[in-house]
Amino acid sequence: MAETNVTPKRFTIPIGPQHPALKEPGHFQFTVDGEIVTGAYVRLGYAHRGIEKAAEERNWIQNLYLLERVCGICSHVHALAYCLAVEKLANVEAPPRAQAIRVLVAELERIHSHFLWMGVSAHEAGFDTLFMYSWRDRETVMDLLEGLTGNRVNYSANQLGGVKCDVDAAQADSIRKGLEFLEERTHHYLNVISHDTSFLQRTRGIGVMTRAQAEVMGAIGPTARASNVARDLRVEAPYAAYKTFPVKVVLDERGDLEARFEVRIKELFESFRLIREILEALPEGELVARMPRRIPAGEAIMRLEAPRGEVFYYIRSGGGDKPERLKVRTPTICNLTSVVRLAVGHQLADVPMILAGIDPCFSCNDRMVQVTAADNGSEKLMTWEELRKYGIDFYRRQAK
Amino acid sequence: MNTEEIMNLANGIAHAWDWATETSQPRPNHLDVTVKQLKELLPIAVGLRVKRLGQLSAIVGLDLGLEANEIEVLYHFCPGEAEIVLRVRVPRQGGELPTLSEVFPIAEVFERELHEMYGIEIAGLRNTERLYLPENWPAGVYPMLKDFDPKVLSEPEGKA
Amino acid sequence: MNNEKNLWQEVAQGLKTWAQVNSPWALHFNSGSCNGCDIEILATLTPRYDLERMGVTLQGSPRHADVLLCTGAVTRQARERLERIYAQMHEPKFVVAIGACALTGGVFQGCYNVMDGIDKVIPVNAYIPGCPPRPEAIIDGVVKLLNSLLPPDRQMRPALPEEEKAVQA
Repeated sequence: MAETNVTPKRFTIPIGPQHPALKEPGHFQFTVDGEIVTGAYVRLGYAHRGIEKAAEERNWIQNLYLLERVCGICSHVHALAYCLAVEKLANVEAPPRAQAIRVLVAELERIHSHFLWMGVSAHEAGFDTLFMYSWRDRETVMDLLEGLTGNRVNYSANQLGGVKCDVDAAQADSIRKGLEFLEERTHHYLNVISHDTSFLQRTRGIGVMTRAQAEVMGAIGPTARASNVARDLRVEAPYAAYKTFPVKVVLDERGDLEARFEVRIKELFESFRLIREILEALPEGELVARMPRRIPAGEAIMRLEAPRGEVFYYIRSGGGDKPERLKVRTPTICNLTSVVRLAVGHQLADVPMILAGIDPCFSCNDRMVQVTAADNGSEKLMTWEELRKYGIDFYRRQAK
Repeated sequence: MNTEEIMNLANGIAHAWDWATETSQPRPNHLDVTVKQLKELLPIAVGLRVKRLGQLSAIVGLDLGLEANEIEVLYHFCPGEAEIVLRVRVPRQGGELPTLSEVFPIAEVFERELHEMYGIEIAGLRNTERLYLPENWPAGVYPMLKDFDPKVLSEPEGKA
Repeated sequence: MNNEKNLWQEVAQGLKTWAQVNSPWALHFNSGSCNGCDIEILATLTPRYDLERMGVTLQGSPRHADVLLCTGAVTRQARERLERIYAQMHEPKFVVAIGACALTGGVFQGCYNVMDGIDKVIPVNAYIPGCPPRPEAIIDGVVKLLNSLLPPDRQMRPALPEEEKAVQA
């Protein structure tokens, strides 16, 4: 395939910046030797809004709404992490019913996020049919979330000390009905991603991360679990109601893109099961515990399993009505390091899929990629869309 | 390894450096290690890594204010349910820390963030380019310091 | 002669408006939003809401786009990109600001790294509020923008009560 007698042209390809990885759209730069990626570099900051600083200027209640908007896809997890950390500081525990509802919403959010990711990464592979189908089905879970909390995105289900929304019998029924439909569809998708030959060509054996690599590079979430690293905070350090409603860790040992697809889809079945269990055995009682207005001085760490991996919150209170320091560490940043190293040695055509494989909140990453031709110093512009098309065409040519 | 074993192991590591550290355990799963001698930070971190406790979750900077004139840096290691925190202090101006990125590749991004948010020099960091802040950000201005004043970010072309 | 020219111009203008209104090509730019608006924009393009039935299709390049769908509070880093993308688009071009952040900065108002809204950087033609706006609201906003391009006598407007009665009768 590679023309060895021709001096390969070296290119630098910046990708991004429309790449909103949780709170920071990334900007990647790949150096390319012919078709092979030889180096990679990340630059974040296109969505750096200064939330951590802003959190120091807002009071405990206002911060709830600010932090919910760290990421629009896993907003519940961020609000939940904040609430749990503040509750830890104040020595308050939310009532069991509230904790169960928190987990319920978190799992619904995981379903929505995984469906979203499946669609977007199928789109990167040029499989738009799967994209449209999975987004159509995703609307089912969006309806459920809306019915439960009143919002499609940024549910605002949490409040300090508990939750704002309750689940009644009618809602429980509609959730069960929705899950039934989704489960049937998920079986279909699992079949598609593990049997469709042209799709497997884009995923099987691509972007392989071994277990040792995943551990050393600090990969987390489904990306790590696809490399057989059993790290899932819902099991390791159960929070909220995960103690009463345990989950099974889904693992895969292959570590390639196919494994990442399978792990995420199999996690959906775990979520379906868990939600049904919660609906069956929803504890009775209050929804909110009383919170003090001022949070006692101290430090708290809270780690949660977001759909993309571990979210880390550190909160320090000085005893006032505002936090003294609030640190958010989102999962994508950990996985970015690994993905940047993974891309080296791969075909340029595989880069979109490898990036999509870690689920870096990819929804709007498309568009605007610059290609700088380093061989003659001239600059050429290549959009992400073009790079994606390039990848699709590359595999089409290969198939011939 | 369950949490108790992890904590015992981590306690053992911290005590091996007891001339340079101060250890407390406020919660059963939380170990707080204050590292008083900066050059011992890396060896302790390597110790944790060797014992497979080196899941570096985050590096958090804390500006202790103008009076203390120090920045506290917290290295959070979170294997399983346990939380092991290494604390070091550096002066607010001209502070320098050794890099952990040779041992923990993930530390690189955290350290770059620490550098641009607090102005702490990280000795031995290969890539010190900006990670979050815009390219036209004024040099020597660090937004996470308590005395940061957003007014220094004046409008470039008078468009407001 | 003069009349003929005017007629020709009128026809050309009418044709242009017709083309614009019937198939506007959109470009989506995230200037530092939380992703909430972006997934809702994507949702409007997928089968349940299907913005494409209005002729709207999402484009990859600013040079092909008529409408810039913009989200986020504009971070300092994204600002230059936004200006550049806007400059790259051909006239006539329209900007739709989507979401509370794009309108005023939203919850991020006053953060050190944001510009508090799209219209601080580039001119905006339509504003769609919400955090995030529902897909229906996005469709409504886009349709309203397209409607405003039509000559006044052909614009859609809400039905008057008596007209509604006439339809029902």
